[in-house]
Parts: sequence; structure tokens; C-alpha cells
Amino acid sequence: MTALIDLVNITKYYGRFRALDDVSLQIHSGITGLLGPNGAGKTTLIKVLLGLVRITSGRGRLLDFELGRQNREIRAHVGYMPEDDCYLHGMTGVECVQFVAQLSCLPAVEALRRSHEILDFCGLAQERYRTVETYSTGMRQKLRFAQAIVHDPPVLILDEPTSGLDPEERQVMLNRIRVLARDHGKAVLLCTHILPDVQSISDAVVILARGRIQVADTMAELSRPTTPSVEVRLMGESDRFVETIRGRGIRVDLQSNGGILLQGLPDQLATHVWQAASACGIGVRSLTPSRNSLEEIFLSAVREGGSRD
Amino acid sequence: MTDASGGLPTTIPAARSELTAVPASRGVNNLGYRTWSDKLVPGWTRWWVITEVGARRAWQSRWLRRMMLFAWLPAIWFGVGFFLWEQLATHPEWKSGLHPFLLDLPDTPELNRIQVAMSSNDVEQSRHTVWAWLLLSFFRNPQAVLMVMVIGVISPPLISQDIRSRAFLLYFSRPLTRFEYLIGKLATLWAYLAVISTLPALALYVMGILLSQDTVVIQSTWDMPLRIIGASVVLMLPTSMLALCCSSLTQESRYAAFGWFAIWILGWFTYVAATSVETFNATQEAIEAHEQAPRQPGRRFRRPERRVTPIKESVWTHLSLYHGLGRVQRWMFGFAEFKDVAVSAAILMAVTLASLGITYYKISAPMRV
Repeated sequence: MTALIDLVNITKYYGRFRALDDVSLQIHSGITGLLGPNGAGKTTLIKVLLGLVRITSGRGRLLDFELGRQNREIRAHVGYMPEDDCYLHGMTGVECVQFVAQLSCLPAVEALRRSHEILDFCGLAQERYRTVETYSTGMRQKLRFAQAIVHDPPVLILDEPTSGLDPEERQVMLNRIRVLARDHGKAVLLCTHILPDVQSISDAVVILARGRIQVADTMAELSRPTTPSVEVRLMGESDRFVETIRGRGIRVDLQSNGGILLQGLPDQLATHVWQAASACGIGVRSLTPSRNSLEEIFLSAVREGGSRD
Repeated sequence: MTDASGGLPTTIPAARSELTAVPASRGVNNLGYRTWSDKLVPGWTRWWVITEVGARRAWQSRWLRRMMLFAWLPAIWFGVGFFLWEQLATHPEWKSGLHPFLLDLPDTPELNRIQVAMSSNDVEQSRHTVWAWLLLSFFRNPQAVLMVMVIGVISPPLISQDIRSRAFLLYFSRPLTRFEYLIGKLATLWAYLAVISTLPALALYVMGILLSQDTVVIQSTWDMPLRIIGASVVLMLPTSMLALCCSSLTQESRYAAFGWFAIWILGWFTYVAATSVETFNATQEAIEAHEQAPRQPGRRFRRPERRVTPIKESVWTHLSLYHGLGRVQRWMFGFAEFKDVAVSAAILMAVTLASLGITYYKISAPMRV
């Protein structure tokens, strides 16, 4: 499968500070989470992709366009939602979206029609006729999202799209991103600090730390534990159940959240669990193959990046 | 469950089919996300979008609308000038009545040439001179002052508000270069300046043509539209660049407005102070020379000659941009040699280039970090 974004040995210096260090990366269609602690180089990487800063060394392509040489074409095919609260003073929501649509070369009338269509999709109703200064944080997030997608770009770069949103709006926003990626084939680079967001919708994850790529893999691969295991949750006291399972020669770890971790292949363990539960007269609330949490992966990657320096 | 605006389901559906389904409660106009693949307009015209929006936003100012209306009133006054001249050209006998006024005109290069033109019998030559003088006066006196006020209303928020609202990322994440952004902002100012200076001047010229009763007029004044455009360019380029430079230096548009007006007012006062000192010195020297001259026999008192002392300029007078513009426009309308205005032209050029450099740097700065 051809990568939509392909970076090869990208290095970027700001004066003597190395913001990106030999970054090589391939991003395919679907949703890719871009994670990293503050100062990891995420914003610089986004600016490199948009051609807003010149790379010190390396090369890269976005779609069929070369970074640094075809910046105009790249920006025509990328929708960028900045993290900063940037807006156009004195304009209404619909005027703002129409304006950026026209900047992306849409004809004036079509830009207005498309703006209304996209604002409907983004859930900005009559508020679109108010000036942007009067918008709440959530409305501004929706407006920025609308501005990013109004010209129907094949690649979306979303910087903290859910920050400042209440839990309900956050889920709606994630749902919109999912619709764009899965139903309309957009490649989405989702840059955020909210790890559950990435875990819930991303197909792949890239973790940056100190300007270097620490982790770049699919979510499925990253979630797979090094040793197979299942997590069991019971209804009632678990002491007899644990003794029975241990008696069958299975390694058991009790977790702080009340779960019981059994090591072994899920298919084989299931039989033992049902039999032990039946013998102990206890109900099984859940039986799920255990996965690595993104938080663990992230912390481990960041620590690894720090220890290398 | 749907969001308040009747949009998408608020819970993340697990199955793909749920994502594509249109909820029954969705708004009538909400068709969900639809792809768009129509014909795009050429990318190099994007500066026009910035100009259009900038001009529209500026027009929301009530003060600007009043000023634009007021800006055309001087054209009526100068239209009367054109009318009177054409009447004089038709009735040469009326010229004799003007002679006393012509003798009392101040001693400036423009008015000396007007005196000569009015005295001559070559109507076409004198028409060219008089029209050029009327148009120069129109540019210099009412319109240059109005220009300072109109730009002072439009330009301060043009870039400073983009800095304050961090809108640069919105602009430059689109297929738009910094140069196009700058042209878009400049063209906003040029549009308004053209409406208050170039268009009324061209309208005066057309009116002059219509008032004259001979098509030879077009032959003798064909260069006037070019001179008007030249004078407009001289007016627009340095002033608009300087105004945007002021706007790019701050996030607060009121500071930009203060800086803009301060440049013109201080420049004006510098000119007045410098010329007053020089003129006073020259007058004193003239009086001393007159007192030392021998008395005429039969007269008890010396009678000073009745004349106006010309304004003496020093190096400091070049600090006034208003008067610098005037000198170069005088050359544009044929009332001065280029060597006489070369310093002013160089200063205006330097102001334009320095302002361009600073503005470009300030626009690029947020992208560098």
C-alpha cells in the first residue's frame, strides 16, 4: 500500500536547537495518532508537512508532492486544524468558513454553499451568523474543524481537535473524524494529548519524544501484549476461584482495579475459567483478552527517549 | 441520542453501518459530509479574496463611509476651476480682468508658469499647464490630507488584528504565499485611495474634455491620464507600505493608528519649523541689505518692495513625507525637473522598501517558531 505521507531522514534545526532528529515515517490512509510530550516536535513536524518551515535535511512526499518544493500544492490538498485559537476578527462563522474556502481556490458562490453544508455537518446551527468573537470554546473548535474540511482535502491534520470540549461534544467530534476517515477515505493525522481519544479511534500511532520517532506502528500491533493473557471479572468473592485456577497450573495476577489476569492463550483459558467458576458457584462478569494500554506504551516510549539522551 | 444541533449521534457506534446511516432527527439541511470535486479558480488570484474581504470589513466603519463621501466634495470645487478655464479659453477678452490677480500670486514655480500660460495666446499650451496645475492642486491639498485620514481609519487593524487573533496559521496553511497576503492587504488600501484620488482626478479630466468645444483638446492633454496614474502611484505605494508597516508592528490597532498619524503630524511640524527658521533668516538678510542700501533722493523713508518672500527649504524639510510626496507629484505633473526632486524620490523609495522589509519579516515571524 502506497503511503500518503512519506518522510525520509527529516532533520530540522531552529538555530542550534534540534527540533526534529532524523525522522523517517510513513503514514497511510485511516487515522494516525501523533503523540508526544510537550516540546517533542509535534508542531514542528506539522509545520514541516505544511511547508511552513524549511527542513534542514532529509526529504519527504505528501500525496504526490515533494516537501519544500511543491508547498502550494501540498497546502491545497491538506486540511489543517490548528491548536491555537486563531480566527478572523469581525467576521461571522459562515463568513470565516467561506473565506478560507475561497483561499483554497473554491469559487465564491460555491464556497458559500459548501460552508453552509459543512457547518451543518459540524453542528453549528444559527450560531454561524454570529461574529466569531462571541463564540464559546466548543463553537470555535467546531468552526476550526469546518475550516479544515471545507475544501474536501484528502489529508487532514488535526491538532488537539477535542481539547476544550465537554464529554458529549468530544464524542461527537471523534465520531465526525471517524466518519471522514472510514467513509470518505481521508488520511487523518490526529495530534492530541488525550490518549483515550487516540486509543478509541486511531488505526496507527506515532509517538515522538525529543524530536525522534519512538514508536510507529498500528494500534492492533501495539495493543497486543508480549505474553498472551485474559482478564477476568467476577460477580462476588474471587478467593476460591483464584485458588482453583492456580490449582490448574495457571499463573494468576490480581490487579488493583479488581480484575484477575490469567496468563495463557485465551481459547485454552476460557474453558478453565468457566469450569472453575462453575465449581466455585460464582458468576463471570467479563472475560476479555488483555491489551496493552496506550498510556503504558506512551510512558514507556517517552522514558526510553529520555534515557537515550 | 443526538447532539443539540440535530447533528451526529453522540455515542460512537461500533458498526460501520451506523456511521453511514442518516439519523431521523437530523436537520432538514444536514446532508452529512459530502465530497466536493468541482472546478477550482486559479491560485494566483487568491490575493483578491483578501482584498475583497478587507475592503468589505473596512466599509463597515461609519467614519470611513462619511470620509469617502466627503472625499469627492473637493472635486466639485476643482470642477468649477476647469469650467472657468474653459470659459476663459472661449472668451479671451475676459483675461484682461484677471491680470491684477495674476500679478499678486505668490512666487512659486507652478504659479509663475500659470502667469506665463495665462498671458500667452497659445490656448492649447496654456490649457495643458492650467489643467496640470489644477490636478496637482487637487492631489496635493484636499486629497493628500484625506488620504492620511482614510488610511488612518482602514490600515491599523489590517495586520495587527491578524497578529492578535493568530490568523496567520489560517492564511498560510492554505495555498497562499506571504507575498500574496501582503498584496491582498495593500490592494485593500489601494482600492480606497484610488476611489478618493485617481477616480475623481480622472473624472475631472473627462469633465474638462467634455467642457471644451474642440477635439484638439484630447491631442494636447493626452498625457494627463498617465500623469494622474503616475501621481496616484506616487501617493499609494509609500503611504500604503508605511501604513501596513505600522500595523504589523503591534497587536493593538490603536497603537498602529497613533504611529501613523504621528509620522505625518511630526513630519508636518518639522517642515513648518524648519522652513520658518530658514524663511525668517532670509527675510532678515533682505531687510538688512535693504537698510544698508543708499536712500533715494527726495524720500524720507525707504519703501520696501511689495513681494512675497519664497519659502526656503533646508535638509530637515525632507523629514516631512507630505511635502516629499508633493515634490515628486510636482515632477509628475511637469512642474519640476527630476534632479530637483531626486532626494525626495529616493527618500520615498527608501521608506517603501524599508516598510516592505519590516512588514514581510513581521508576517513571517510567527511561522519561524
